[in-house]
Amino acid sequence: MAMVHPCKRARHVCKPCIIVAGLFHRSRAQPCSIFLKDKPLRLIAFLAALLLASPTFAQGIEQTKGDFEDKFRQLDEVLPTPNVYRNASGAPGHEYWQQKADYRITATLDEDARRLTATATITYTNNSPDTLPWIWLQLDQNIFKSDSMSELTNTFGGPGRRGPAVSAASGGEPAQLSLEELRRQQAMEDNTYGYDINRVTSGGRALDHTIVGTLMRVDLARALRPGQSITFTIDYAYNVVEENVIFARSGYEHFPDDPREGGNDIFLFAQWFPRLVAYSDYEGWHNKEFLGRGEFTLEFGNYDVSMTVPDDHIVSSTGVLANPTAVLTGAQRQRLAQARNADSPMFIVTPQEAAANEATGPTGTKTWRFTADNVRDFAWASSRKFIWDAQGHRQPGAENPVVMAMSFWPKEGGDLWRKYSTAAVVHTMKVYSRFSFDYPYPTAQSVNGPVGGMEYPMITFNGPRTILQDDGTRTYSESEKVFLVGVVIHEIGHIYFPMTVNSDERQWTWMDEGINSFLDSVAGYEWDPDMPWTRSLPRDLIPYMTSQNQVPIMTQSDSVLNLGPNAYGKPSAAYHILRDTIIGRERFDFALREYARRWKFKRPTPSDFFRTIEEASGTDLDWFWRGWFYTTDHVDIALDSIYKLRLDTKNPDIDLARRRQELRDEPEKVGVRLNREQNVPIWVLENPGITDFYDENDQFTVTPKDRKSYESFLEGLEPWERRVFDRAVEEDKNYYVLSFSNKGGLVMPIILGMTFADGTSERMMIPAEVWRRNPHHVSKLLVFDKGKELAEVVVDPDWETADADIENNYYPRRIIDSRIEAFKRPDPTSRTGRDLMAEVLVRDEEDEGSQ
Amino acid sequence: MIARLIAALALLLAAPLAAHQQKIAISILSHNERTGMLEVVHQVPLHDAEHALRALGVRQADIINDTESRRAFARYVADRFELAAGGAQVRLALLGSEIEGGGLYIYQEAPSPGRGAVLTVRSLILTDIWARQENRVNFGDGTEVETLIFRAGDPARAGVLP
Repeated sequence: MAMVHPCKRARHVCKPCIIVAGLFHRSRAQPCSIFLKDKPLRLIAFLAALLLASPTFAQGIEQTKGDFEDKFRQLDEVLPTPNVYRNASGAPGHEYWQQKADYRITATLDEDARRLTATATITYTNNSPDTLPWIWLQLDQNIFKSDSMSELTNTFGGPGRRGPAVSAASGGEPAQLSLEELRRQQAMEDNTYGYDINRVTSGGRALDHTIVGTLMRVDLARALRPGQSITFTIDYAYNVVEENVIFARSGYEHFPDDPREGGNDIFLFAQWFPRLVAYSDYEGWHNKEFLGRGEFTLEFGNYDVSMTVPDDHIVSSTGVLANPTAVLTGAQRQRLAQARNADSPMFIVTPQEAAANEATGPTGTKTWRFTADNVRDFAWASSRKFIWDAQGHRQPGAENPVVMAMSFWPKEGGDLWRKYSTAAVVHTMKVYSRFSFDYPYPTAQSVNGPVGGMEYPMITFNGPRTILQDDGTRTYSESEKVFLVGVVIHEIGHIYFPMTVNSDERQWTWMDEGINSFLDSVAGYEWDPDMPWTRSLPRDLIPYMTSQNQVPIMTQSDSVLNLGPNAYGKPSAAYHILRDTIIGRERFDFALREYARRWKFKRPTPSDFFRTIEEASGTDLDWFWRGWFYTTDHVDIALDSIYKLRLDTKNPDIDLARRRQELRDEPEKVGVRLNREQNVPIWVLENPGITDFYDENDQFTVTPKDRKSYESFLEGLEPWERRVFDRAVEEDKNYYVLSFSNKGGLVMPIILGMTFADGTSERMMIPAEVWRRNPHHVSKLLVFDKGKELAEVVVDPDWETADADIENNYYPRRIIDSRIEAFKRPDPTSRTGRDLMAEVLVRDEEDEGSQ
Repeated sequence: MIARLIAALALLLAAPLAAHQQKIAISILSHNERTGMLEVVHQVPLHDAEHALRALGVRQADIINDTESRRAFARYVADRFELAAGGAQVRLALLGSEIEGGGLYIYQEAPSPGRGAVLTVRSLILTDIWARQENRVNFGDGTEVETLIFRAGDPARAGVLP
């Protein structure tokens, strides 16, 4: 069977053809001459392709005939047009701008009433080319009003519901409410949540303002022109929600069993002040209601915040403490100074001091003052329960050469926090800075409270805790340890993405969560590769990616059906593939660093990310973004067949002998074998004296005509053709044609692990572009030297592309254990990548009667 | 009608306080040609499993190192996964569980009714604990997959075993 038939000119009777020796697929062997028959078909196909070609349009391009799908169509028609603000290479344009919002806030916490009263003076600078008649602010606390859009649209059950468990009635089963849901309803009924906006003024004059859900428009007395600033003041207050009751991203947690009468609280303050709505070149004002899932889109600015709290509270906050002498003891200040140069965390407030603190009550109030420059948000925490440790993280040459890594936790955090929280903060900065830039702020903090995991500039809230035993000690499981280290890495990592690389969380959760999940897995494996980290590698995403009813990654945050695999796991898997498989580590890391560097303290969009990674890595990835981010296809590439081919020498003395041998190698005809076994008489054997020419010469006997034809063939070759032909005959290489089909839809590189008959192995990667003209089926010729014969080929041998079906990756096919078959084997070796094995398997034989 | 619904309200379990669970479980049903068995593989995030156990009253939940914790959760998953064929319950044998990466895998099997059999399934895993729990049940473990999605209160539905 020939690969290419070179009969281009009539004077050539036949150019070299290649035939199948049939090692792998004898049944598919075809005579060379078939291609003469094929030729008209090819021509027809070619003409049809010309007729089917249709004009293209910038938008709405559609293949209206045939089923060709251009998986490599460039994204130009999908991505926004580059402009002076965002250029075509994915970098900020030469006229890039962003607004600035500076805040001076004084806040007072009424601990008993759990109410915060504050005054925010905001200076808003209009760096846009537009004149703004009003400005919009985010009133995120209004999400907890009983008539908020979030409350009114929170479904009873259904996808993406936030809050306590409920269950709709089904069949004969009643609807169900959890006690938490009832508690939440009662709390909503008993309390008034949301902002009380008491006054909005500028220069002593009241400003008209209109509240629209979680947004507030402030009408300016005079439109704000480009380059101008306005300073205005908002007096406001709100009742702090109980996090575990309301399911917020902040709030207080009550500890009723503490020794102090009435117990103690931990307060976490986030979304606690009216924050400027982002105004951008691509969306204007970002008027998207806060529904709870789509997080935040914010402006950078400088903060000066004074918070008055009970005088026995310890405050952890975005920024740097500006008045340590007013709020810290001499010993605490001295410990902080020592911790700055320490190689391991040092206590600033010891567990014993915290224990004493939480057993008593305040004598008054203290005002803590923090300042923070160039941050997009501000959060803080306050409690008398806090233990506090710190360690200086050194990054020579950086703007902040020493970063204070600090943790704050109650006794409930125990040794889990003492050993691992601040250590994980430092580890995160070491790893993430390699992939982006030096940690950009002077502090990095991890605070334990009622929030499972949430990030803000310089401060994160992390939930894992210990369990109190009957003997008074505290223990934690390995899973909880992994959870703590993992969540601290993840949330501190968010200080890079999106707190510094300021992507739009309200629109695109995946932009920061995807990169952050990717990097937290990198940091996790650099912490301890044997720990069972969360699942964000390609192989982990296969069951989700093959399942139906998904949405593409490019879906607005509030509309994503399942945020975890969609916005965290799948993009993370995509980046692992880009880094380790498609682009390569050096160029991918360079490109990611370039993205981080370009958009540090700026606001990137998806197109800026896509374009930057492409440009900086020098790799066209439009096909990858299109497949992984704009569709719900998955990966499944099958190796359907392998033909082994051998070059015909055209020399009848060689080729006919080969044909004769091939015939001999075929299995004996069954009927002939049975006749022999049954001693059926054969006429020619019983009449040996009667013979002729044909008994002495088989069909492969070389005739003078054959030799003359061969000589004619050689004479017909051009000199260069003769040189090529002679060399090929002499080298007698092994030719293999591998046929692949794309069953999953996503086009991906074809990674081949090849084992040869001599026991050696090779690996090669065919770039994804092999699919560009036919995304469903492709064939590839591989050539190996004489004596180098393929024995087995496997696609994606290291499971790096999220290929859904392993069985069709092997040629020849092999039996692949199912998970359960592998699980049952006493010494499972059929799969790789298992971090923990069968020593603690549940073989629940005694339970079989009930199953 | 309203009165009837009110009367039918019932209470769910108390959920753990710690957040940040992924709240997704994926179950895969497949016919094994070699063994003639119907294989069921449940994949649950490790942290979800451990935190759920606490909600279920296992105070010292330790999915990784404590066999009893693992068994308790495996039994819970088996109890919350309902399967029927031809109107009769499919009695799935609970084989055990293992950890891979950050996931806990729980294995069940039963004699297979064969390819093309219509199976009625209802996955209630963790829907009694978290409002946002989403359970995907994939019929098939290769490329051709039919997915049923279950959330709290969803009734049983049918799929075809490929």
